[in-house]
Amino acid sequence: MGEDTACRSREKVWVPSPYSNSNDDPHAMVTGHLVRVARSSYHSRMKLREWEGKEVFRRYGIATPEGVVVTEAPGTLPLPFPVVVKAQVLSGDRKKAGGIRFAKNERELAREIARMLGKKLHKEVVTSVLIEEQISGAREYYVSFSYDDRTKGPVLALSTKGGSGIASARLLPIDPTVPLTAAKVRAHLLKARVAAPHQAALTKVVRQLFELFQTEGALLAEINPLFITKAGVAIAGDAKVITDDALTPVSECRNIEMDGDIAILASGGGASMLNMDALLRAGGRPANYTEYSGNPPAEVVRELTVRVLSREGLRGCWVVGAAANFTDIHTTLSGFLEGLRSITPKPTYPIVIRRDGPRREDAFEMLHEAGEKEGFSFYLFDAETPMVATAAIMVAHANKHRVKRKKKI
Amino acid sequence: MSILVNKKTRVLIQGITGSEGSRVCRDMRAYGTVVLAGVTPGKGGENVDGVPVFATVAAAKGAHPSVNCSLIVVPARFVKAAAIEAITARIPLVVILTENVAVRDSAYLIALARKKKVRVLGPSSIGIIVPGHVKVGAVGVGAMARAYAPGPIGLMSKSGGMTSEIAFALTRAGFGQSTALGVGGDTLTGLDFVDLYALFERDSETRAVVFFGEVGGTAEERVAEYRSTLKNPKPLIALIAGRFSALLPGGTTLGHAGAIVSEGRGSYASKVRALKASGVHIAHSVEEIPTILAKALKKYEMEHRN
Repeated sequence: MGEDTACRSREKVWVPSPYSNSNDDPHAMVTGHLVRVARSSYHSRMKLREWEGKEVFRRYGIATPEGVVVTEAPGTLPLPFPVVVKAQVLSGDRKKAGGIRFAKNERELAREIARMLGKKLHKEVVTSVLIEEQISGAREYYVSFSYDDRTKGPVLALSTKGGSGIASARLLPIDPTVPLTAAKVRAHLLKARVAAPHQAALTKVVRQLFELFQTEGALLAEINPLFITKAGVAIAGDAKVITDDALTPVSECRNIEMDGDIAILASGGGASMLNMDALLRAGGRPANYTEYSGNPPAEVVRELTVRVLSREGLRGCWVVGAAANFTDIHTTLSGFLEGLRSITPKPTYPIVIRRDGPRREDAFEMLHEAGEKEGFSFYLFDAETPMVATAAIMVAHANKHRVKRKKKI
Repeated sequence: MSILVNKKTRVLIQGITGSEGSRVCRDMRAYGTVVLAGVTPGKGGENVDGVPVFATVAAAKGAHPSVNCSLIVVPARFVKAAAIEAITARIPLVVILTENVAVRDSAYLIALARKKKVRVLGPSSIGIIVPGHVKVGAVGVGAMARAYAPGPIGLMSKSGGMTSEIAFALTRAGFGQSTALGVGGDTLTGLDFVDLYALFERDSETRAVVFFGEVGGTAEERVAEYRSTLKNPKPLIALIAGRFSALLPGGTTLGHAGAIVSEGRGSYASKVRALKASGVHIAHSVEEIPTILAKALKKYEMEHRN
């Protein structure tokens, strides 16, 4: 399963503007000539990779270990050994999966890098590796800001036992309409029983992280572990930053590929999910999950159609949505038809459409005509037929299509 | 009665001169809603189909002191400023239709509204309708108004489209609605399922409540928690979408901190389990809702006679 980066989703093309006051290329490398990041990582995500997150951290004054990002084994390393070698993937639990290793010398470093680069970690190919100085003898904390729908606002989560075994954290709801004062943070640190010598450094980092969280409009800003060294210096051992969809310009569709054989073009966030559930209950196997909302222009629907139908092994296509309030059904389905016409070989599988709303009659007339003249197998339903019923109809037709194909062979 | 809005509702539309704003304005007035004024910065003195436009909420409120509801239909990046205006003018109900509002902005305006004792519905709300009387927002636009009929069922939904879809099924089966509304599917919303369910519980006209939930967040679980504290709660029927999301890779959801914060809640299974434990009826499709509702109402009324 992969997610389509050209389309609206949690993965998206990186847009630097919400990210900084400067016009820095966000892909300008961490430290000069050693670092060459593959072009493919240009498509940054809603969830930032560790090295990207750390770059954001440094802009807010949060210290990170000395390090370099590499896409191949480095010649000479501008760092003293021992070092930490970290695969730059988005999934968590890297340590358990072998994505975080240690190296005492160049030989070990080369071996660890070779073991990571180009290999898959939690289904994601590792294209870059972060090499960092190893921080030792430090206390590890967990600090994050995120949103809690119970308090309907930001929460600070803090634990004196950070690291990969983090199990629980103390939560402090934050009032975003007033500044987060040092006094407030300190009071919370006292409750969390943070050791006195660490309080000043932690207070500073917590406030810097909140500044980042607010200014960047992040949904999550997390440091785990946050090292406090014996000298009382705070260093972010890891960085997890998730940015807000709403702050980056997006097209109006998202598409996630799945393993099945029924292509889906669903509209409306709520109805899309409900219809996926219905298709699975009816015994169907979705080839993808996609949704488009609002009143998309025909061109957006056309592109999405092409994207969704351009894969092999499809046995059916299901276009489904709740009765629309605003969406011009004729525009939407014109886009779908244009997309359909550009697919080669021409789809012969059944296409079940359940739509209703403004200009639905015109749209169905257009499809009926196209179906007769161009030989598409359309099955058209309006709001009188429940969405869930069309899931069963889709599955039944797709199954018949399968049988027919087998007979031909 | 109804919840949140009624015949005494007097509406102000922020963003009235935009295409969406003028469209909902016309549609709401055609339904019988009283729209007293609109606000668009820089367009004070104009009018939209005879509704006067002011440059600020304060000016609109000055000219029309009976305004008690503001509908916000401005582009996402202006929502925060528009809501601050409405909240500081102490308009008791602010309905935000706009989608794609940054969570940061929602958090701010929700916190401010709480301090000023103002209710916020949305962002991403489809609006609110008391069938046959009044509606605020894009709910039941034009011909879709036929989906709604007056009656005893409270309806709330995270999805705008599903609000109409469920209302249609209820109305066809003879179950009209006391009030139907969209809470919005955002990470943070002003009024959530718990707040609204509490209002429906207190509303004498509402005999049962139906809601459409989705995976993510904790609102559905908290409805279950809240309901467990009630004596003789009204029948509640839930349709929860997103069971399939268990098939998607874990990375599609929030990471470590999110998991800590939500204590592992938010999945389809956790929601359904919590709801069932508190006596909520789970529907698996829109079409099942009227049947389940009829049975639940009958049972409830039998128990109450004894």
